Amino acid sequence: MNAVLSFLKRPLVIALLLIAALLYLGESLSPGFASADQVLRLLIVASLLGIVAAGQNVIILGGREGIDLSVGGVVSLSAIIAGNVMNGADGGILPAILACLAAGAFFGLLNGLGVTLLRIPPLVMTLGMLGVLQGLLVVIRNGIPSGRAAPGLSAFVTQPLVFGIPGIIWLWIAIGLFMAFMLNRTVFGHRIYAIGSNEHAAYMAGVPVRRMRIGLFMISGMFAAIAGLCLLGYSGSSFANVGEQYMLSSIIAVVFGGTSLAGGKGGYTGTMAGALLLVILQGILTTVNIDESGRQMVFGATLLLLMLFYGRGKAMRA
Amino acid sequence: MPKLTLNGVSKAYGATLALRRGDLEIAAGEVHVLMGSNGSGKSTLCKIIAGSVRPDGGEILIDGRSVTISGPQSAREQGIGIFYQELSLAANRSVEENICLAMLPVKAAFFVDRPALKARAARYIELFAGVSGDGFAAETLVGNLRADQRQLVEIMKALASEAPILIFDEPTSALDRAQVDRFFDILRGLKRDGRGIIFISHRMDEITAIGDRVTIIRDGETIQTLNLSETDPAAVIRLMVGGAGDMPASQSSAPAVASFSAGAAMTVDRLSGAGFRNVSFEVAKGEILGLGGLHGQGQSAVLRAIFGAGSVTSGEIRIGSDRFDAKSPRDAIRHGCAYVSGDRGRDGVIAGRPIIENVTPIHYLRDRLMIARPSGLKAKAMPALEAMHTKFASLMHPINSLSGGNQQKVIIARWLIDRPDVLLLDDPTKGIDLSAKADLFALIRQLAADGLGILLYSSEDAELLGNANRILVFNGGSVTRELTGEDRTRYNLYQAAYEAA
Repeated sequence: MNAVLSFLKRPLVIALLLIAALLYLGESLSPGFASADQVLRLLIVASLLGIVAAGQNVIILGGREGIDLSVGGVVSLSAIIAGNVMNGADGGILPAILACLAAGAFFGLLNGLGVTLLRIPPLVMTLGMLGVLQGLLVVIRNGIPSGRAAPGLSAFVTQPLVFGIPGIIWLWIAIGLFMAFMLNRTVFGHRIYAIGSNEHAAYMAGVPVRRMRIGLFMISGMFAAIAGLCLLGYSGSSFANVGEQYMLSSIIAVVFGGTSLAGGKGGYTGTMAGALLLVILQGILTTVNIDESGRQMVFGATLLLLMLFYGRGKAMRA
Repeated sequence: MPKLTLNGVSKAYGATLALRRGDLEIAAGEVHVLMGSNGSGKSTLCKIIAGSVRPDGGEILIDGRSVTISGPQSAREQGIGIFYQELSLAANRSVEENICLAMLPVKAAFFVDRPALKARAARYIELFAGVSGDGFAAETLVGNLRADQRQLVEIMKALASEAPILIFDEPTSALDRAQVDRFFDILRGLKRDGRGIIFISHRMDEITAIGDRVTIIRDGETIQTLNLSETDPAAVIRLMVGGAGDMPASQSSAPAVASFSAGAAMTVDRLSGAGFRNVSFEVAKGEILGLGGLHGQGQSAVLRAIFGAGSVTSGEIRIGSDRFDAKSPRDAIRHGCAYVSGDRGRDGVIAGRPIIENVTPIHYLRDRLMIARPSGLKAKAMPALEAMHTKFASLMHPINSLSGGNQQKVIIARWLIDRPDVLLLDDPTKGIDLSAKADLFALIRQLAADGLGILLYSSEDAELLGNANRILVFNGGSVTRELTGEDRTRYNLYQAAYEAA
């Protein structure tokens, strides 16, 4: 009985049970909600969120109140860069990927340098960076939408690729496997947990703490950039602040999946479940005609509620 | 009638008796010195008088009346003022505000009376006029002062309490000669006023300069009270050490001299940095070199500096014949240096992670690994953990599931997969059980026999006397004495530790 109870208390199991419950709720509110087509659509949307949350995940795991509030800005910027570089031509996909990754890595580098060398708290540093990015977006676009997705990219995100499943879902699965491998089987992964759990001890054991932290912010920037690119494929063209919603939802997905905001504890599998859960919740809220502002309120409240459940183990500012 | 009397005061923390029996009598107009080694119970005694610790038994009398001191506030009301060793100043407030912090003058029952505050603070600032140094003024923020100036403010704050009974717990550690002389003049003035003063210091010259009587505490018991004019420092130290203090270190434990034929493992030449200056020594391969002395005399600072985790301003370190200046622990580890801290919670344990990840970080670095293959790592980790007799159920269990002693064994085991050339031990047995200590020292001696050079700082003198081939005694940041062979006695260790720096 105790074994069953402790199994049921694992965050991942809770999340999976909640997913099933929410799908059932959605189906009963609006028949067809849990149909194969709809579930596939939900999975595509969850993939986009999940990819952003992968970066958010490693930063939060790295501890020292690590958080990346600039991911939304990077997603938007990346979508615009990709749209303008490829401008509807398949030949532009590869250059677009490279340009987006470079941009994501660059802004991640700036975040990382600010946090390590200037010792700006991540919350403040990445919030400032978000402001910079939002300003940059206005300057680049000058209010005029520009750039279109290449047909190849749109097909990759929205059309079935293998076994009737779109490429982006395969990409997400690949990222999930990559993250599991990196966190559990590589020295880099072990060091992420080490700096997240006891930064000073890690330093005394020869872990290059600063370089690691800069690297984590670059990884986060690049994941956000990939998500931005795929988002362009999903929506066809880029529009203002298309990535804005990812700031809060990526954090919620990570916390939902059982990763501690204090760092050093958690993993990506839970985050994937968390992303799926949030997307389904969002779908239900849409189904019952709750508008964007209402959804934001529900999301914010969800995060606070999660903190109440998970966040009591360890004080954030120890 | 004595100003303050303690009769049979005792205090236990759980199963540990911090103070077995404290008897003390402070007369009006005397400076009464408390002496005892680290952990002998003198700070517990002071805390009981100051009200921050409630005694389990015994009796406290002030001016012959039995009193109960229920807390720091009540101590102040009963006329007890204390200077805290760990300074208790507000960094962002001015000198004058800090001096008057305990009793801010008020007017109209609500507002701080600035002119009164200034006038009162000025009285105490005036006492140290001429010796308080540049930049010391009533309006200066305490955070902008030097260490010695902050200590002066703390003294002024204690004096401002105008309490009939004053406790000074190591008040002179940061002060220069002129400041100490001025402070002692002030204390002599207080004696003439009939105050009772308790004074704790580790500097024998200061104790004989200002003290009237001395009470010696050993193992939680007040042993004896002597008139300082009728005794000499050697007798005081002998009382602190207790019986058998003149016996040389047990020879079954460590040979008196390590063979230097194997050559030097590490040479440190005129090294200075934050907390230590002009330290020179050589550790031979196969030698255990002990660092002794009172707490915080630079031993840890030197070890951390060698390991690249502290500051070095001048001097040089060599491993073998190569110049070695570690800019970071990472650098030091790459060059074959290892460091084990007694503060494993801060410096060692990666909490919440599996035992295996706590054993492998050094191996990752020294073998430049990228992939962590569990089976390969297990084969590396097991022998290291077994060498330490570590008890654990599974390598995948979190390190927190182990006892303190076993956690420390895991931390030490991480250095055994790829052997270092030099092992720096910074009070490695702090807070671990006796059997773990025994395992630890058996391993340390084995490592020395294998040819490692080992630097051992320990706050327990018995560990140094039992294991070190030579002992360097630190005092005030420098090595003041080297004990070898027959000289390695508890008495000599104490004497060197308590000499004037």
